[in-house]
Amino acid sequence: MSGRIELDRPRCEGHGLCEEAAPRLMHLDDDGDLVIDVEEVDGADLEAAKAAVRVCPVAALRLVSA
Amino acid sequence: MSTPLESDIDIWSDEIVVDPYPAYAELREQAGVVHLPKNDLYVLTRYDVIRDALGDPATFSSTTLGFNPMVNEALQGTSLASDPPMHTQLRATLSENLTPRALRGLKVVIDEKAEKLVAELVAAGSFEAIDSLARAFPLEIVADLIGFSGHVKDNMLRWGQAAMQVLGPMNQRTQESFPIAGELYGWCSSVKAEDLTPGSIGRGIFDAEARGDIPEGTAGHIIHQYLGAGVDTTIASIGNIVALFGRHPEQLEIVCENPDLVPAAFAEVLRYWVPIHIWGRTTTREVEIDGYTVPKGAQIGLLIGAGNRDPRHYENPDTFDVRRNPTDHLSFGYGPHGCAGQGLARLEGHAIVSALARQVQSITISEPVRVPSNMTRSIESLRVLEVVAA
Repeated sequence: MSGRIELDRPRCEGHGLCEEAAPRLMHLDDDGDLVIDVEEVDGADLEAAKAAVRVCPVAALRLVSA
Repeated sequence: MSTPLESDIDIWSDEIVVDPYPAYAELREQAGVVHLPKNDLYVLTRYDVIRDALGDPATFSSTTLGFNPMVNEALQGTSLASDPPMHTQLRATLSENLTPRALRGLKVVIDEKAEKLVAELVAAGSFEAIDSLARAFPLEIVADLIGFSGHVKDNMLRWGQAAMQVLGPMNQRTQESFPIAGELYGWCSSVKAEDLTPGSIGRGIFDAEARGDIPEGTAGHIIHQYLGAGVDTTIASIGNIVALFGRHPEQLEIVCENPDLVPAAFAEVLRYWVPIHIWGRTTTREVEIDGYTVPKGAQIGLLIGAGNRDPRHYENPDTFDVRRNPTDHLSFGYGPHGCAGQGLARLEGHAIVSALARQVQSITISEPVRVPSNMTRSIESLRVLEVVAA
């Protein structure tokens, strides 16, 4: 199974919990804006992506099945 | 589908608001949604059910987040009591100055204040933790941030407490708090830019109003929300940090040895003892919850603390464990209405946990004294009898 990470940018407030859950897949840049480094995920990345989606406090991230 | 089960529990009785966890467990085991005829309310009790409701504002409207018509009327047009799409714009203005990005420069200041305050208390050897730490710290931070001084700062605690209390049902606590909440409301509807410290967030809100970023006359509403939401909840959390470390010395020891656990420890404090008991919603249609049918227009009460202790979601939920790292706890809500001040709350909470872990080896505390309150569960007084410095 694989999936694609989608970010609802206006909703993102930069809390950064997703970055802690999935540091390989996303990071906050120097301005505090979220950058998705890996959009298409599978295997271990898929699990990390799910964790990142789960901890987003404002529901700005979602995972779409590819 | 069937009608929800009933319980004769009064969720706002004095005994329950002081010690809600036995009632939460009873209701949660009954079902994910339980009808409380005494409160004319359907309470949601399990983690998944609460989180789903928070993530579905189209079905669970925020227009009756309070539990009496007077307060809901007064809150109309605020970010708190509105649904998307109107909510989306109000929320953006409200949270603009509170995002972690906007707060980044404050971390150093907040950490320094926490270290200094804790150092003074450790040096004193014994202290009353609520007045001298749980209340003192957020009052200082929030007052400086929003730009309050003088009589407004002196009234912040009373006003913040009353603003929360009046969200409850029309019981005696609510009635007694309305005049005090009215003082805050009155002040916020007449406050001018020059009443707030230059360079403060509050001043920034007036600048946004002057630029036309928010409608004329709404700056006061936003300032009202900062004060109403940001004071009592943080006081409750910081009091709980001290009480839980006093009660579980081995947990403080774990954080002392592993400073990386500071954020996890704060998340666990919020999960274990929720600062806000209950939050309201209204159903916009007939909806099936956990197999039961709840009618359209029903008043919903989200029992956040019950969800945080749901064994379906957390292993050994009644154990306070700083290693757990429950980043998905419900205490900040979730989704479009997720606590707008959570970035600031984390800065404050982490600063206090970190200062305690750095400077304190152990504390001996007296039994925390709690008083009944409609919305927030905080400690009224907590004596730290002895501090062993690290």
